[in-house]
Amino acid sequence: MTASYLKLAGGYVYDPLNGVDGQAQDIWILDDKIVEPPPPGVRAGRVIDLAGYVVMPGGVDMHCHIAGPKVNMARKMRPEDKRRDEVIERTQKTHSGTMGSVPSTFAIGYKYIGLGYTTAFDAAVPPLSARHAHEELEDTPCIDKGFFVLTGNNHFVMKSIADNEPEKLKGFLPWLLGAAKGYAPKLVNPGGVEVWKHHPKGNVDTVDQTIDYFDITPRQIISELTRTANEIGLPHPVHIHCNNLGMPGNYSTTFNTMDALNGYNGHITHVQFHSYGGGEGEEESFCSKAQELAEYVNTHENITVDVGQVMFGETTSMTGDGPLGYYLHNVYGTKWFSADTEMESGCGIAPIKYRNESLVHALQWAIGLEWYLLVNDPWRVVMSTDSPNGASFTAYPQIIRLLMDSTYRNDVLRTVHPEVVNRCILADLKREYTLNEICIITRAGPAKILGLKNKGHLGPGADADITVYLPHENKQLMFELPKYVFKSGVLVVEDAEIREPLSGKIFHVDPDYDLEIEKDISDWFEQYYSVRFRNYPIQDDYLHHAEVVDCSQPEESPNKSS
Amino acid sequence: MTLKLTYQGDTKIPVEIEGITPDIVQQLSLAEIEQLPVFHGKDKCVLADFFKISGDSADLHMHLSGQLTGVHWIGTKMQHGSITIDGDCGRHLGSEMRGGTIIVNGNAGDWIGGEMKGGLIHVHGNAGHQVGAAYRGSERGMNRGTIIIDGNAGNEIGLTMRRGLIVIGGNAGDLIGFNMLAGTVMIFGSSGIRHGAGMRRGSIIFMGEEHPQLLPSFRHAVQYQPEFMRVMLRKLADTGFHVTEENLNASYNLYHGDMIDGGRGEILLRT
Repeated sequence: MTASYLKLAGGYVYDPLNGVDGQAQDIWILDDKIVEPPPPGVRAGRVIDLAGYVVMPGGVDMHCHIAGPKVNMARKMRPEDKRRDEVIERTQKTHSGTMGSVPSTFAIGYKYIGLGYTTAFDAAVPPLSARHAHEELEDTPCIDKGFFVLTGNNHFVMKSIADNEPEKLKGFLPWLLGAAKGYAPKLVNPGGVEVWKHHPKGNVDTVDQTIDYFDITPRQIISELTRTANEIGLPHPVHIHCNNLGMPGNYSTTFNTMDALNGYNGHITHVQFHSYGGGEGEEESFCSKAQELAEYVNTHENITVDVGQVMFGETTSMTGDGPLGYYLHNVYGTKWFSADTEMESGCGIAPIKYRNESLVHALQWAIGLEWYLLVNDPWRVVMSTDSPNGASFTAYPQIIRLLMDSTYRNDVLRTVHPEVVNRCILADLKREYTLNEICIITRAGPAKILGLKNKGHLGPGADADITVYLPHENKQLMFELPKYVFKSGVLVVEDAEIREPLSGKIFHVDPDYDLEIEKDISDWFEQYYSVRFRNYPIQDDYLHHAEVVDCSQPEESPNKSS
Repeated sequence: MTLKLTYQGDTKIPVEIEGITPDIVQQLSLAEIEQLPVFHGKDKCVLADFFKISGDSADLHMHLSGQLTGVHWIGTKMQHGSITIDGDCGRHLGSEMRGGTIIVNGNAGDWIGGEMKGGLIHVHGNAGHQVGAAYRGSERGMNRGTIIIDGNAGNEIGLTMRRGLIVIGGNAGDLIGFNMLAGTVMIFGSSGIRHGAGMRRGSIIFMGEEHPQLLPSFRHAVQYQPEFMRVMLRKLADTGFHVTEENLNASYNLYHGDMIDGGRGEILLRT
């Protein structure tokens, strides 16, 4: 037994969850877990000297698009994007692959682990396509993963709300998450996608607009799903993509969405895209409202956010927000894909190029950075690019440098559209992140927000997912090329080379529900769905390596505004 | 002195010699040129595995000969210099080239001048499909330069092209100028159907005696004798392309289209 210990000796450890801020410490690993140091006299089978290195938990990306039908469609519709980018060559241990803004499955796993990220969650999978998403994730090596299930435009959800049957919703939501082997409910433009399906250029403008046929409002969908998800104890209750993404003046919708949580825990995703002032469709008055919204978040502990940082360059927008895809297609004149997933959701895909000389794009870039710098508690703001929507996840090291080095940040600010400094307060923000805070917003924070007790920290019992960096004054260089990445106690990456491409596991929930609901759902399926009820759920043995996350999170009482 | 590459391969698997252009090899010794990487299917090989190489490239001229129909990507991304090919050659000739001249004394395959950005390609025989086209998914195809095919060519000529001139001396297939953004395509023979579908701007000029049936989304504007045609045909004659006196004095029926996408493109039918 002695020989199986792995000791990482003497590195500068950053483990904010356990109050460790850069102290030189040893980390002991047994099999795939971090453990207490063994009794004196017990020696490790292998010791790796990390004196002088920075040691952090593996990164956790809580919002990206890496699997499922929209991702696969984006790969197919953008061959030119792949043709221009690097090719991942096959080695004796790894598969070949392609990059571009939507890399191939194996390449996604290799690139994430190469950056020191060991967990990633796809943010939008229609439950009807969950099987496909799981199959793609099976081919995404090296990282643990999971996905959020689209529910904000689901007909059964909306009908339950319209019929004022909260118990039915309380049965359906856990059944749906369990059937899809998903992790959390995702609301994308709640109600708006349904309106888009019924009207040319259709969408909702406010959270209080009535949705056709159901006679309910987006506010009701947000409130009811949030309350239900909190009541059933989900580890990550709701993940909300607000209405009116990208529209000038949408900040009021974001305020109303936060208000509709009614004090329950909720996560507002890619909040940068929802923080705009200005008149409808007007570039003249387009401006940042990050300060007002961040202040609201600072005073409401029930709300967490991830940023959705925009970085300059070419990428692909993919979203469950069907009308948004159409909007982008019209604005940029690019090709466009739209999908209608039966009674569940929609989808829009369009290429996009963020240019620093564009006022709108440069302001989006600046607003993202404002969010990081204006939320006081780093545990409640998470680094994301909404990969690939704002930029690829491979841009994270550059964002880290922008946050840790205000001189560099101001240098870049001087290269963008000159009007930006008049439309936001980024130039006035002097805050610089510390390594400890970077550790929080890239791993400890998202793991906590996701309710993953064994991720994002280095205490005993944690999964042995560890990233080791060589300190460097240029933080982009430091975070681009970790010295070592350990996944489940195995050295997977050393000096940018993949040594052992492990398969990661799938995180999902399996909440309890009243079995009586299945009769209603079954009738619904037989009447409307293209899939038989009994064929819809994904069986346990379909997933090769899965971990069910506990759904007995203590229900927080609402009204936690401070 | 010219660098001579004589093909000696005996394979039905595609041989891809992307990146071997006069401007690249100019600074290299013969031994270095022989070791330049090429692909044989998925396998990496060297140029000397398939070609007997002699001479030198000091004058920025390459001469290729032999049975080259299975040799693809000749002259890809060429910046300047010249390539002469004696015999038939494969696909993607002059792909993304930016300058220089490629002369083919034979036939060429599909995708000639795909997304080319400058220079001249002159094929004295026939060509395949997608001459000067955009590769699948790309926003634009040929974006400057000239392609002249003395013989016939296939479908989708000038697909999504943005600038430049494509001249087909013989017959052509379907969908000429499909999704064309701008630029000029001239066809001297007969052709297939659905030309100019989705074109936004640009000119497709049919010089032959048989006129194709146009899509209903093209509208007749005028019969006229534009001066620019005279200028363009004279310039074309300077390249050695045969232009008759009758062509120089011709008049044309002008059609505007494609009306489903703004209608700012034009199709000219020689009367």
